[in-house]
Amino acid sequence: MNNPNWPIFAIFGLGVVLTLGVGFYCVMVTRNLIRALIGLEVLTKAVTLLLVLCGYVAGRMALAQTLAITLIVVEVAVMVVAVSLFLGIFRRTGSIRSTDIQNLKG
Amino acid sequence: MRSLLILLPLAGLILLNLPGGLLAGLALPAVAALAIFEIVLAVYLPTAAFPALEQVQQLLHLSTPLDSLARVLLLSIGIVMLASLLVLHATVKAQRRRFNVANVLLISLMGMNGVVLVHDLFSLYVFLEVTSVASFVLIASSGEDTGLEGAFKYLVLSAVATVLMLSGVAMMFLFAGSTDFSAVAAALQNNSGQLLLKIAIGTFGCGLLIKGGLVPFHGWLPDAYQSAPAAISVLLAGVVTKVSGIYALFRLGISVVGLQTFSPVLLAVGALSMVVGALLALRQNSLKRLLAYSSVSQVGYIVLGLGCAGMGGPAGKLGLAAAIFHLFNHTIFKTLLFVNSAALEQRTGTSDMSVMGGLGSRMPITSTSSAIAALSIAGIPPLSGFWSKLLLIIALWQAGLYAYASLAVFVSVLTLAYMLTVQRRVFFGKCREDLLSAREASGGIVLVEAALALVIIGVGVLMPYVMNSFLLPLKGGF
Repeated sequence: MNNPNWPIFAIFGLGVVLTLGVGFYCVMVTRNLIRALIGLEVLTKAVTLLLVLCGYVAGRMALAQTLAITLIVVEVAVMVVAVSLFLGIFRRTGSIRSTDIQNLKG
Repeated sequence: MRSLLILLPLAGLILLNLPGGLLAGLALPAVAALAIFEIVLAVYLPTAAFPALEQVQQLLHLSTPLDSLARVLLLSIGIVMLASLLVLHATVKAQRRRFNVANVLLISLMGMNGVVLVHDLFSLYVFLEVTSVASFVLIASSGEDTGLEGAFKYLVLSAVATVLMLSGVAMMFLFAGSTDFSAVAAALQNNSGQLLLKIAIGTFGCGLLIKGGLVPFHGWLPDAYQSAPAAISVLLAGVVTKVSGIYALFRLGISVVGLQTFSPVLLAVGALSMVVGALLALRQNSLKRLLAYSSVSQVGYIVLGLGCAGMGGPAGKLGLAAAIFHLFNHTIFKTLLFVNSAALEQRTGTSDMSVMGGLGSRMPITSTSSAIAALSIAGIPPLSGFWSKLLLIIALWQAGLYAYASLAVFVSVLTLAYMLTVQRRVFFGKCREDLLSAREASGGIVLVEAALALVIIGVGVLMPYVMNSFLLPLKGGF
């Protein structure tokens, strides 16, 4: 690839990979539902950055912005549903630890 | 005409929620009408469109012609949505909850239609997300602890799948400068050696495997199916995971990436799901959980067929046709089995098989239709499941994949084993004392059972006709 923007892609790409790593670590390690949600948000932010970065390097900034905004809107809907689920879990069990909600097994 | 499939559910959603609740009583009939419209459209698909709708289609990237695969999926969505609605009508009596569920069903219907119709990777993601969010709400709609837990597990894994898919989309966007299927396909052709593109395909595929619930990503699927209310598990097992995982995988393979690139991976994942799903199904006590593991196993067959399609040549084409045929058959018999479990839940109040026994004499239609579905899923002639498995095994054998072909035969035996266990534990023998008062499920459920059982027998017996009019075009279609 002879794109002049390639170094920028490498630097920001490293940032994306690091953020993804932090997000995955958070989702896997934590036992707290709210923290798991924060981990998912961090993951999504990493992907949004990657999308914008790819748009910049490919020279399609306008399209990338549209995609990023759509992504943010969709993500909000998912997070609202997630938080309402957690609220339901908290109201029923009085706990937001994922170890306390393990009725389904087999 | 196709864009109506997305626009009508949206319009319906607005009309049903007009202030004052004027049309609120029409919620279930409205969804049913849309499902019937979808079936009609899938079968008769008119070619002429209204000029005004053409522009919407261009906006939504629907300009490419609809292929047979999309038609099969639209047909399945319509059928399963109708079955789910009848079960909902029979199992949920509260007007308010019916109305709420019907609204979310409309969103789910729109999402699935979108997934089937779009030709753009990012739009695909948006509609997948619409479908998933609707599913979370539907699973949790019972308001019970287990429902919330199942929805939560689905949500977390689905969000991870989304992240993986979107990273893939972003990297393909980097090379293609657009997310349109044809543009990405061209970019993949021109930069075939790029490592980033290989990673992109890998992450996107992984995300779809999670959404489809294949081993080793199947953790959420049994929980979600088991904890969902009866009508919703019919919908989830029948189409939602098929559309959002398997159909998207088909679409990615056929229209974007080219199946040959990841055919060995698909073969391995398919075979693993097939075996692990069947083995886990053998040791379940909950009927719904057993059926969920059976779904994992049967989806393994479909993915195996998709992997075989990547081998190319006539065997590959036969494999693709067999995979699509099995996808349709699986939709029908898995829907029927979940409707049976809904019938049992309606009359016994549980889906735990250890407290059932001898219900065959009390619920003759449920018992008979369950036997038909069980024999079809195990591949007993002349039912529909036999033909799709036979075609699949022939395709695998012709492609020189002898080990996978024998494995498919072996898993058929396991399938027969666990499905007969269900029949024996639930329906056969003498009726248990505490179940003597049980009677046949209510009218709507019995109607669905009879209709789906007839479809299974009909497709099986009329196989020569189906082969000529439906499967042979599929072989040449790609």
